Amino acid sequence: MKELMFFDANCRIGDCIEAYPGVTELLADMDYYGVDKALVRHNGIAKLPLSSNREIAEMLKQYDVQQRLTGVWTILPDSCDEIPEPDEFFRQMKANRIGAITLSPFEHRYQLRRIVIGKIMDAAAERRVPVLLDAFAGQWAQLYDFLERFPENTFIYTELGGKWGSDRNIRPLLETYENFYFEIARYWVPEGIRDLAEKYGAERILYGSAFPAGNQGNGMLQLKHSGLNDADIAKIAGENLERILKGAQL
Amino acid sequence: MSGCIWNEPGSLAEKFWREGKGDFPIYDMHGHMGAHYAIYFKRCEAPEMVAHVKRIGVKRLVFSHHEALWGSVRNAQVYEICKQYPNTLRMYAGIIPQRQDQMKEDIANFDRWAPYAVGLKLLPGYHSADVMDKRYEYALAFANERKLPVLVHTWGRDMAMLEAIQKYPDVRFFIGHCCYGAWDHAIRCIKESSGNAYLELTAIPGDRGIIEKLVAGVGSEKILFGTDMPWFDEYQAVGGVLAAKISDDDKLNILSRNPERILGKDF
Repeated sequence: MKELMFFDANCRIGDCIEAYPGVTELLADMDYYGVDKALVRHNGIAKLPLSSNREIAEMLKQYDVQQRLTGVWTILPDSCDEIPEPDEFFRQMKANRIGAITLSPFEHRYQLRRIVIGKIMDAAAERRVPVLLDAFAGQWAQLYDFLERFPENTFIYTELGGKWGSDRNIRPLLETYENFYFEIARYWVPEGIRDLAEKYGAERILYGSAFPAGNQGNGMLQLKHSGLNDADIAKIAGENLERILKGAQL
Repeated sequence: MSGCIWNEPGSLAEKFWREGKGDFPIYDMHGHMGAHYAIYFKRCEAPEMVAHVKRIGVKRLVFSHHEALWGSVRNAQVYEICKQYPNTLRMYAGIIPQRQDQMKEDIANFDRWAPYAVGLKLLPGYHSADVMDKRYEYALAFANERKLPVLVHTWGRDMAMLEAIQKYPDVRFFIGHCCYGAWDHAIRCIKESSGNAYLELTAIPGDRGIIEKLVAGVGSEKILFGTDMPWFDEYQAVGGVLAAKISDDDKLNILSRNPERILGKDF
């Protein structure tokens, strides 16, 4: 059997209101299921944007000694000076092993317009820093508007609740935006991974688990026996996300 | 990946990872068929569904047709579909509480649909009812008399489900989706039954730690495997059972042995 490198694109750690698994529990599950690396964001992003940015950096530094995890930071609007200017923000990301950004416009109460977040989004596009779309469950109209305004950015669609059963909304985005990547946690459509990969390219699909709500194993077997060839399975399992993160110029 | 469950020699997980199937039959006890108004399904008719489930070694898929539950297809037509796939398909007769005449006619015909019809399917939430609704009484009394399986869609804390389990002690109730989210209530439904209720896993195998909790609560002998096929991929769902931190014996009970204990090896 050819060994596969799995890089989980959809994990959350850290406490927010209630206790959630941290780095140690995540790494234990990764070992149990054979997941090599993970892209992790903090459970508290929606409620504690700035402190969760600091906390996840500290968690990675303190507990992820083998450096298997890459963090995600949230952005806030440019004009309120809550986050540094883009150059400094990305410098701090690199220094703290943060490889991607996300945003929670509905919880953080701002508009998804160029005059609000254009500066940081344009800088992310220029540097090819991936933007996670994990706050748009069921918000298809807002998501479509957002992507129309920022077509040059690299996006990873990672949200949990609205993926399955949403091919009528997902497929137009894959057709239209070449830098729109689709992560498969809870995309349980029978042989659906293969269908998407054959239609849009295996390069556009990423393995993810939705840890800690999801277990990492079910999607691994689904991908392994998706019907795709070994090269495409390897891309989806981990190579694509690794390529995207390495391509970011932080 | 060395040292992970998929590489554990002799384990079920290792066999499925390597070969794509095990050396035992899988029984998928919660299926559907046909198009759905809100969702794009590429593989929702019998030929594609049977091809999909056979990839992983499903011996029987027991299903209720979507359109039999919405009223545009009759159960007699579903029986004709099953006859085309006698080695794979079995059916639950879909019960629509708003259509009493149709329900009584279908129940009168139930024996003619042997061996394909193995039980009834109730979809109370979608039919603006609960399982204790009087309009279900005729069907449940029939199932009770015949000791038939009745698969009931549940989601959340469903008190009527517990009442029905206790009111109809000879019905084999399959609690679809395990009262999703209300796990302690689902466990209570089993513990306060007279042994006539089972938890059915559709939509759960992707969740972290839930199968473990249910097995600890009721024992793997009371849990059935299902996928809502054509809703959910068989490899995803079986993968979730294999990925649960329970014994291989528990996994075999869920995937294979329990339906045979209830319905026999050749149902």
